[in-house]
Amino acid sequence: MAWITACYLAYLFLPIALLVVGSLGEVWLNTLLPTGLTGRWYLEVWSDGSFRRAFSVSLQVAAATCAITALIGLPLAYTIYSAASRGVRFAARIVALLPIAVPPLVLSFGFVLVFSSDALPYLGSLWVLIGGHVVLTLPYVTQTLVADMRHLRLAALLQAGESLGASAPQRFFDIVLPSLRHSLASGLVTVAALSIGEFQLSNLVAGFITRPYPVVLLQAFYGATGFACAATTILLALALLGSLTGSLTAHGARATGAVAA
Amino acid sequence: MTGPTLTLNGVAFAYPGSPFRLTDIELAVAPGELVAVIGASGCGKSTVLKLVAGFLAPLRGRVLIDGMDVTAMPPRARSLGVVFQAYALFPHMTAWENVAYPLKVRGLAADERRQRAFKMLDVVGLSDFAHRRPPELSGGQQQRIALARALVFQPRALLLDEPLSALDAALRIEMRDEIRRLQREHAIATLHITHDQEEALSMADRIVVMRAGRIEQVGSPRELYERPRTRWVASFVGHSNLWDGVVRAPDAIETPIGIVRMRDVALTPGTRATILVRPERIRLGPAADGVNNFTGKVTRDRFLGALRRYDLSVAGGSIVGETADAGAIETVHIPPERVQVIPLEGGTSASPT
Repeated sequence: MAWITACYLAYLFLPIALLVVGSLGEVWLNTLLPTGLTGRWYLEVWSDGSFRRAFSVSLQVAAATCAITALIGLPLAYTIYSAASRGVRFAARIVALLPIAVPPLVLSFGFVLVFSSDALPYLGSLWVLIGGHVVLTLPYVTQTLVADMRHLRLAALLQAGESLGASAPQRFFDIVLPSLRHSLASGLVTVAALSIGEFQLSNLVAGFITRPYPVVLLQAFYGATGFACAATTILLALALLGSLTGSLTAHGARATGAVAA
Repeated sequence: MTGPTLTLNGVAFAYPGSPFRLTDIELAVAPGELVAVIGASGCGKSTVLKLVAGFLAPLRGRVLIDGMDVTAMPPRARSLGVVFQAYALFPHMTAWENVAYPLKVRGLAADERRQRAFKMLDVVGLSDFAHRRPPELSGGQQQRIALARALVFQPRALLLDEPLSALDAALRIEMRDEIRRLQREHAIATLHITHDQEEALSMADRIVVMRAGRIEQVGSPRELYERPRTRWVASFVGHSNLWDGVVRAPDAIETPIGIVRMRDVALTPGTRATILVRPERIRLGPAADGVNNFTGKVTRDRFLGALRRYDLSVAGGSIVGETADAGAIETVHIPPERVQVIPLEGGTSASPT
C-alpha cells in the first residue's frame, strides 16, 4: 500500500517540481535538469502586459464567480433540499449536474452562438465569461450545500427556530448561514480553483482583453521553456492562493461564529 | 374555572397525495396538565403536534391557545415550546447560546438573556456544560438543553415530540421523571407525543389513544388500563389477554380456551364479544370453587426482576400471566370478577393480541 501511495505522490508532484525547477533555470536544452539559476523568467512574465492583464482578469472572474454562485447556490440548494416530491428532487439533481456532465466545449459553443447574435452581441465581455464560469461551477456549490443541509437536518433546525420565535431573516442569518458556513466555504474554494484553471470555455468565450490567465498561458508554450515554466508556476500559485483564501475565510467564519449569538 | 390552554376543535388534515387522513380531532389540555398522545407509528400523533405548533394548517377545524383562535397564526407567533425528536439544537451555538436564542429573537438585552439562560441551565443541572457545543454533549444532556430552550421564554404550552426515543433505556426512565418535574415546576400545559405506552402511563395525567388518524379513547392512565373501550386500546395499553367469543349466558362466554365465567353482563346470549383479562389478574393454582380453572404447560417464562411473566399454553390458546411466585406453574384460574367484556366493534378487530 505504502509504495502505491509513494508512486502516486511522485506522479503527482514530480511534474510540479520540474516546473518550479525549470522556471528558475537559466538554460534547459537536452539535459535532464536545467543549468544555471535565474529569476529572469519571472521578471519577463511580469513585464509582459498581456500576462499581467490576464492575471487580474482571472482574479476578477474568480471573485465574481464565487460571489454569484454563493448568491444563487444557497437558495437553489435549499429548494432542492426541501422539495417535497421525489420527482422534483430527481429532476433538480439532473439539472444541477448537467454542467458537469456536458463537455465544456459544447456549452462554450452554445455561448458563442447565443452571444454572437445581433440581439445579444456580448461575446468577449467580462460578464459573459463570468456567466460561463458560474454555469460550470454552480453544481459544486449546490451539491456540497445540499449534502450539508441533509447532514445537519436543516429543516428541523429551521422549525426549531420558528417555534422559538425567529423571523425568516433571523432564521437565515442566525441559523442557515452560520450552520452552513463550512460547506459554503469549501464549495467556494472548489469554485475559485476551477474558475482560475478553466481553459476550454474561456478560450472560446473570452475577448482579446478579457482573456483569463490560462488562455494567455497557452502562448507561453511557444516561447522559451523557462518562460513557460515560470508562467505556469504563477498559475499554480494563483490557484493555491485561491484555495488558501477560501480556507482562511472558513477559519475566520468559524472564529466569528463562536463569538456571535 | 379557567378554560383549557390548548384546544383542537374538529380538526381534520390530509397530506397532499397521501391516503392518510386525520379526522375529527377533539382535544383539550388544561392548564398545568400533561396529556400524552399515543398510538402506533403512522397513526397521526406527530401530525397532531405539527398542527398545534403551526407547522401544518388544518383542512377543517380550529386550533385554540388560551381560548384564542390561532389556526391562521404562524408558529413563531404561537409562543409554544417545542422539543423535537432529535432535539434540533443549533450545532454552531454553545449550550447556553442555544438556551438564550429565543430570548435573543425577542430582543432581550445581552446581559439579561445570558443571566436567564444560565439560570435555566442550572434548573436542568447543566451549568457546568454551558460552553459546550451540542456535538460535545451526550444524548441526555442534549435533551435537557432542548427542554431548557423550550421553557426559558415562558411559553404558553410545551409540546414534546417523542422526546425520549433517541435515548437508551436507563436514561429514558430517568428523563421521564426529569420532564415531569420540570413540567410540574413550571405548571405548564404539555402535549407529549410518544409511541411508548409505558412512558405515557407513567407520566401523563391523561392519555389520548390514536389509531389510523382518529382518537380511539381519551382517559386517565388508570381508566385506559382498567376500562379500555375497544379491543385495540386494550391491546395497545399494557399487556393483555384478549379472547374473542360468543356470550352463552349472562355470566358465561365461550372462547377458544373454553367457557369463561364472568360477572353478569347486559349482553344477550349469542352476542359476539371480546373479553380482557390483565396478566396480573391471573391467579396461580386451581380456584376453590373450580371456576375458570385452566391447566397447561409454560412455554415462555420471562424473568422481570420482582415479577415473572409467563405464557401458559392451554387447550385452544395461551394465557399470559404475571406473578411474583417463583414456583412451577401448571394450573391457573381467572377470578370471574376480573373478566372485562369489550363489545365487538363493527368488524374492526385487526390488531395484535
